[in-house]
Amino acid sequence: MEDKFDCIIVGGGIAGLSAAMVCAQNNLRFLLVERGEFCGAKNVSGGVLWGTELARLVPDYWKAPDAGFERFIRHRRLTFMDEQSAFSLDFKSDHFDQPPYAGITVLRAKFDNWLASKVEAAIEASAFADESFLVPDVLVEELLLESGAVVGIRAGEETFYADCVILAEGVNNLLTRQIGLQPEYVPADYVAVGVKEVIRFDQKVLEDRFQLQDRSGLSNEFVGFASQGVEGGGFLYTNLDTVSVGLVLGMKDLREKGGPKPYDLLDTFKRHPAVADMLRGGESLEYAAHVVSTGDIRALPKEVYADGVLVTGEAAGLLLNSGKAIQGMDYAMHSGILAAEAVAAAKQDEDFSAASLKRYRDALDASYLMQDMRGFQDAVHLLHSPAMFQAVPNLFCDFGRQFFTIDNAPTRKASAMLKDSIRKHSSFLEMMKLGFKARKL
Amino acid sequence: MTIAERLGTVSYRNQGRNDASAHIHVDTDICNSRCPHKGTTYMCPANCYTVDAEGLVHFQVEDCIECGTCMYACDQGAVTWKYPDPEQGLGVTWNLG
Repeated sequence: MEDKFDCIIVGGGIAGLSAAMVCAQNNLRFLLVERGEFCGAKNVSGGVLWGTELARLVPDYWKAPDAGFERFIRHRRLTFMDEQSAFSLDFKSDHFDQPPYAGITVLRAKFDNWLASKVEAAIEASAFADESFLVPDVLVEELLLESGAVVGIRAGEETFYADCVILAEGVNNLLTRQIGLQPEYVPADYVAVGVKEVIRFDQKVLEDRFQLQDRSGLSNEFVGFASQGVEGGGFLYTNLDTVSVGLVLGMKDLREKGGPKPYDLLDTFKRHPAVADMLRGGESLEYAAHVVSTGDIRALPKEVYADGVLVTGEAAGLLLNSGKAIQGMDYAMHSGILAAEAVAAAKQDEDFSAASLKRYRDALDASYLMQDMRGFQDAVHLLHSPAMFQAVPNLFCDFGRQFFTIDNAPTRKASAMLKDSIRKHSSFLEMMKLGFKARKL
Repeated sequence: MTIAERLGTVSYRNQGRNDASAHIHVDTDICNSRCPHKGTTYMCPANCYTVDAEGLVHFQVEDCIECGTCMYACDQGAVTWKYPDPEQGLGVTWNLG
């Protein structure tokens, strides 16, 4: 056995494991190190994994009874809230209920661990079955450099060398910062904090309450009262016999508002009548929190590659909330795959210089991922504007309350009701401006 | 649900180990002398940063769930944030995540 790997992957989350899968499939000799007790042990997400790419890594994964996902998204809902009301856009379709499913709910400690087992199987089937490894409980403290190029990692007293390193270390990307691809201090403007609880129900109760058939599930996002004036929103996703419920809160706005605390906001959100009705009788199994990037393109590392190194997933700031969905895990998967493909091509050329690894940047730019991130920056900014999480939800709920109220008085025209709601919570000028911006959604 | 009850649902590593090393160091002199917002005390999702009756900031690492919030909440240079050592450090193991 040579003393050098083709590739070292730092981080056993979705980006790292997806890269590892492609490395194994391309018969590369690699080492993946994960600082947790197992892959997934340190990972938190909302979370829905959108897109169909998992089927590319693990064909027909839905057929296995022990597959690591929770439910397929068949029912989607976007809810605008004020203190008492919930006004929803609701879409349910059997179109969503067939393979390859384009959205699955996951719990990361379970899902990532399962995906790691699939990578282990791919290693077994590769040319380097005894020379590629997934190793948990290893913390990479620093990247090793020679003449400016990344050549390996140091973990405690031990060093490991490789032709190149794929960083999949997540949003708190200390190694990406070490080599100067990201500034040492990342300001609060470009990150949010997610807080969530996983709440358990009897599976039958859950399925009846949310009208779930077999393994179908619901994804519900919330704006407005959910975050009580703080930039951000709420989410609720159905798992097999649990529900993931939480908030994502803009870090800068949270600091400027001076409170309340994230978990107190979560409590108030859970007490909203529309949410409380869904959660009644559940038992809270685990509280979790994690920083999440906001998808603002200004916060991306200055480059996603350098001599001997590639940056993937949230370590590279790859995440987008365009208003249709929060896409982080599919971006992690896609970028992990592209990075490993670039490494495989670089191996063919025996060239791991920045010039060679630029092919990763090119592939990323050509993919749906960077096209969407660039194309939806206006949407990102719109969704972070105060009107979207204050005036708009209040206005919708006010209108809804008028529209759906039937009393023994002459009924007014809907247009008159809408005018009233706009005057009460905003202005026609504001709404026109917003409407103009919303063309970009 | 109180924050204490919430944190009671979290599985921590190396808890109760006397020689466990801290992965976050906070220079609370900075918090208490020149920070205009003391943001960590109301932004940390694990309530690791608290304010006492005299208005002084205190930090304890034992409840830390490694989310990273304080690294961004603090813009005064008071927080030195590293990942915990798997063998000797504190930190979490998520059961669900």
